[in-house]
Amino acid sequence: MIVEISHFLAIISTALFFLAGLFALTIKNTFYTTNLISKTFSHAFLFFSASFFIYIYLAITDDFSVQYIANHSNSALPIFYKISSIWSAHEGSMFLWIFFLALWGFIFNIFIKNTEILKPKTIGIISLVIVGFLLFLLITSNPFVTILPIAPVNGADINPVLQDPALAIHPPTLYLGYVGFVIPFACSMAFLINNDASVKWESLVRKWSVMAWIFLTIGITLGSWWAYYELGWGGYWFWDPVENVALMPWLAATAFLHSLSVSIKSSHLRTWTILLSISVFSLSLFGAFIVRSGIIDSVHSFANDPQRGLYLLAFISVIILISLSLFISRFSLTRTHRSIKTLSKESFISINNIFFVTLIFSIMLGVTYPLIYEYFYDQKISVGAPFYNAIFIPIVILASIFLFFSIESKWSRSIDLKIFINPIFISLILSFVATLIVFINLEKINVFILLSIFTGLLIIFRYLIEIWNSFVYKKYLNPFSAIAHFALGLLLVSISLNSLLSSERALNIKINEYEEYEDLNIYFRDLNLVKGPNYDSVKANFFIEDENGKSFNLYPEKRRYSRRGQITTETAIYITPFRDIYLTIGDQLEDGSWIVNIQINFLIRWIWFSAFLMAFAGVVLISSKRKV
Amino acid sequence: MKIKYITLIFFSLTVFSGTIYEFTNDEDEKRFNDLIKDIRCPKCTFGSLSSSNAPVSEDLKLKIAEMVRENKTDNEIKNYVASRFGKESLYEPELSKGTYLLWFSPFVILLLALSIFIFRKKY
Amino acid sequence: MKILLKLLIISLPISFLFMFFVLLNEDKQIPGADYREFDLPIFNLEDLDSKRVIKNTDIKGASIINIWASWCITCQIEHPYLMSLNKRGIPVIGINYKDDRDDAINWLSKFGNPYQLIIHDYKGSLALDMGVTGAPETFLVNNGRIVAHYQGEINESIWNKVFAPIIEEQGLFK
Repeated sequence: MIVEISHFLAIISTALFFLAGLFALTIKNTFYTTNLISKTFSHAFLFFSASFFIYIYLAITDDFSVQYIANHSNSALPIFYKISSIWSAHEGSMFLWIFFLALWGFIFNIFIKNTEILKPKTIGIISLVIVGFLLFLLITSNPFVTILPIAPVNGADINPVLQDPALAIHPPTLYLGYVGFVIPFACSMAFLINNDASVKWESLVRKWSVMAWIFLTIGITLGSWWAYYELGWGGYWFWDPVENVALMPWLAATAFLHSLSVSIKSSHLRTWTILLSISVFSLSLFGAFIVRSGIIDSVHSFANDPQRGLYLLAFISVIILISLSLFISRFSLTRTHRSIKTLSKESFISINNIFFVTLIFSIMLGVTYPLIYEYFYDQKISVGAPFYNAIFIPIVILASIFLFFSIESKWSRSIDLKIFINPIFISLILSFVATLIVFINLEKINVFILLSIFTGLLIIFRYLIEIWNSFVYKKYLNPFSAIAHFALGLLLVSISLNSLLSSERALNIKINEYEEYEDLNIYFRDLNLVKGPNYDSVKANFFIEDENGKSFNLYPEKRRYSRRGQITTETAIYITPFRDIYLTIGDQLEDGSWIVNIQINFLIRWIWFSAFLMAFAGVVLISSKRKV
Repeated sequence: MKIKYITLIFFSLTVFSGTIYEFTNDEDEKRFNDLIKDIRCPKCTFGSLSSSNAPVSEDLKLKIAEMVRENKTDNEIKNYVASRFGKESLYEPELSKGTYLLWFSPFVILLLALSIFIFRKKY
Repeated sequence: MKILLKLLIISLPISFLFMFFVLLNEDKQIPGADYREFDLPIFNLEDLDSKRVIKNTDIKGASIINIWASWCITCQIEHPYLMSLNKRGIPVIGINYKDDRDDAINWLSKFGNPYQLIIHDYKGSLALDMGVTGAPETFLVNNGRIVAHYQGEINESIWNKVFAPIIEEQGLFK
């Protein structure tokens, strides 16, 4: 059976990874041993990728003797979804996770020269992490289990909700982000073990960390975008435990990147940077634990299995405890005796670190509080959007204001107050005026939203001025910082206006009748039965016209999938630059009319655009020739 | 006829839902929309009333719409739901002895950390 | 100061992880069982057979209230157990939930009637007031106060785990 070959290759690679790790951390590093370790790792990776690609082959060729493939795939699926069915559940997605871990290590192994002092130990630590996960996979979550002697003729179908391109790409992108942070983690550990403060591990890992951050940013944004058009609720962020558990590593990663540039440029904050690199990776692992142990109920949860949860928790604990112990034992290695000057860039980033850590702490608190509360008070509570919004909004506004004032700050010295004033002054006035316009034009007033808009505008205007200055007066401007922070400003404004201006209503309309909502006239033209490849659907035809005479059609559906009998709502969205017209059909009432849910979502595309713009800033950084 | 047959298969449990929410003014509608986002669907593992079309969610939404029309306050409506479906059906945990830690510790920590940084002794 | 910081850095994650170990190992309560007490809601509905009006004040003493419907498949499965409860002399009151009256009556004549009284809750308003999310669900009520609530199919095992302790403690059905 071919699956056994894949299984065997996975076992061999486990042994090889273990050897590489053992060598790296026990034997004295010389050029010869480094060469050996590097080659062992590469071979381990080659065996493992062979194992993984064979598994993909099995999925594509419908080998239903493999239990996992039988449970999650089906011969009727297009090839793309046969492949994506691999990561649709626990065992397979774990397989993908490990493959990506090994892939990052492999690419690092290839690109970094063997003469690099920290290389062997970094590779060694990555190897051992891989071994831990491989043992987890092979012992508790084996994807190679077979159904013998008789394989089923066909597989169970994949959940129709998962048969979607964005959703197929979302996990791999996220995983690439999560596991990419094994590189700065392993490298910082190697640095500590090596015990030489003059080694600049931070410069070594910078572009790798930014790359991983880009994947994480895009992965989370894809998830948000998918949820919006697929789930039919019209929201883009739900503070769902699994979303939260993805946000925490992202926040830690962003703080880490900031701290990293300080450490590279002026050797301050090196201790913070190490601690943050441990945090990002730990939070990524913690996220994996939460999602797979079933300890928290969520829309995303894989099958609940406390035994797996226990193993993962133990593994994560070992990693965290070892890395923290190492960190503490080498605590003085990176402490400098020079102080951070007030209002210098270093001080602003230190404050930034504090803000980010507070946000991470708040999410952790919110996610775990229901569990703790239930343990002590024997009562269930929920912690949702109202809590997270109450914490995030003021803190993000505050942090953004600090950002605004920090833009001019210099490395290692205080700001010269004279040059300080002009762009700040102009931005303040422009933002104030713009916010005033918003306030006057809209009947609804909400202090926090107005403040967010004001703050976001401050950042936007300030950077526009700086960009202008850099072109006209050749004044220096850091491009990645400018693009990323401009994107943040845009994000703040988009989220605020979206929350302020969007509206929705549940109408009921009979066929051939119309209803009015806001500036739209909605005419229910027709209802048809459509037969899809694996579903039946009721497809509505709406003709919509706005005040300016512009018109368009929307076709929301309700589908019933034949294999599992599942019913899904297909939304119909009309996209314009400033708003989305979002339509879903509900149930039919006794009088023959249909419930039609209409939402007008303002600036929602801008929210994702801002996130992608941030990721783009990272791409600009990676492709640039500059050191910092 | 075919449409009726298909829809009966789809919606056999929900044909009894009744009419949908009618409000006399925009504020009521906004209040209603905000309320149903902050109340959990009793039957779903995760998700607000706004995002669910389970029969009990539909019933609850109708009841809440009725209470909004009767000018009941947000608190009265939330208490109604919590007393029948449990405190866990509210996404906003109430401010009580057991939740002071939840609501205040982020700000306390922020203040503490910022103060330590700003007033640190220079070596 | 430095020692304090080091201690903090290592002890916080340790206690946090330890907390998760404890939580993972904890025995969860019986899923579906709820012991929150509240008053039986005020209602004014028709009896399924006679169409006579029944009020909440008509339910006196201790009894079991069972939410059921002819469209509910699990209700068929728990039905024999309800019949046995009735035989043991325990008063079982039925709330017919979102059901067509004729369908309900036919169902009862087909499977048997374990109920002393059946309230026809066509709109589900009483059920909503009681925190019902579907059928079947079963309540234990004593003197106008609900003292136990179970969501799901009731059988001997559930009876012993969920209801029997309360019945014992409050000395009901003697």
